[in-house]
Amino acid sequence: MDIIAIAFGAIFVNNVVLNQFYGLCPFLGVSTKKSSALSMGMAVTFVITLSTMIAYWIYNFVLVPYEIQYVSTIVFILVIASFVQLVEMFIKKFSSSLYSALGVYLPLITTNCAVLGVAIDTTVNGSTIMGKYGSEPSFLNATVYALGISLGYAIVIFLFSAIREEMDAYPIKRNWQGIPIALITAFIMAMIFVGFGGII
Amino acid sequence: MAKRQKSLSEIFSNGLFSQNPTFVQFLGMCPTLAVTKSVESALGMGAGVVFVLVMSNLFISLIRNFVPREVRIPIYIVVIASLVTILEMFMWAYMRPIAMQLGTFLSLIVVNCLILGRAEAFASKNGPVKSMVDGFGMALGFTGGIALIAFFRELLGAGSITIWGDLAFQLIPQNYQISILVAPAGAFLVFGILVAQINKLKFKNESEVA
Repeated sequence: MDIIAIAFGAIFVNNVVLNQFYGLCPFLGVSTKKSSALSMGMAVTFVITLSTMIAYWIYNFVLVPYEIQYVSTIVFILVIASFVQLVEMFIKKFSSSLYSALGVYLPLITTNCAVLGVAIDTTVNGSTIMGKYGSEPSFLNATVYALGISLGYAIVIFLFSAIREEMDAYPIKRNWQGIPIALITAFIMAMIFVGFGGII
Repeated sequence: MAKRQKSLSEIFSNGLFSQNPTFVQFLGMCPTLAVTKSVESALGMGAGVVFVLVMSNLFISLIRNFVPREVRIPIYIVVIASLVTILEMFMWAYMRPIAMQLGTFLSLIVVNCLILGRAEAFASKNGPVKSMVDGFGMALGFTGGIALIAFFRELLGAGSITIWGDLAFQLIPQNYQISILVAPAGAFLVFGILVAQINKLKFKNESEVA
């Protein structure tokens, strides 16, 4: 049961963009077209899930035994940056179609705060975050949480891009064009997502 | 391109107004929305960014001639991450309430695009004094931006203005507060409206100049 609660909570209730404000720069920057939003969502899902798994092992089996948790920020950002680089090299070599779809977005993900944010939340703040769902931090819980968070990201950025594509057809006052109207749209979406809070 | 050298005061005011990170460049938006629930946490975040940005611009400007171009980004990230770690340890030791309010976002200063952006766009090409002035201007512009958002959110949403610890004023009674503004969703609304109003002023100025 815990796992279902964690997954549902991570996707909808504590949605990464609308509730926790992680990863807003790509959320507003790469959401003007549905196709690019979909690619970004896929790339983020892949990177967040795997880098959280790596961060979990490093934190619990290297940093904690040697009592050097205070370097976790430096270690995580280096691991994430090199991991993203590796993934980029890997898919460039083995799948040119996947590379043309995701290639541009991968370097951007290093500075997507959702990746570092989720890595920190599942390790350093693990007991607080998992405590919200009445559970303990464990490898399985961390992985499910990371997968849920990133799926929540993919869903919201795709819906948001669909709305923004439609919005292009309507006249908008000059000072509201672009970022301001996008923020108001995000406000309405966030209000809708507040409703999910009642389910858990 | 023969560009005139910019004076220090021009560099400083560049970050504060014409290239304001919050309202003009839209850099570092995650903390912009996440820590603006109260003026106090916005100021705490701002102070952290001032420290990290000024110091990172200084160090990166000092090492700019020794760093090979191919690996510059990882090196910048290590410099920034070390500074953020120092800041985290300091804040958790001496300013615990603020550190708890900021939570993960204190560590996330590392991936604030404003800091890496200034390292790449300014500190890697300019001397240490200019870089520090640029960092200070940009960080103050950022602080001012988030403090403005926090001011409206806290005043209208919770009816109070908290500057630091007990230095707080309760201005609006409970029945007249718009509590959605302090909920996460309200951050988008307040930020959106402010950006639109600032754009309006900007376009008005432009048409008067033209």
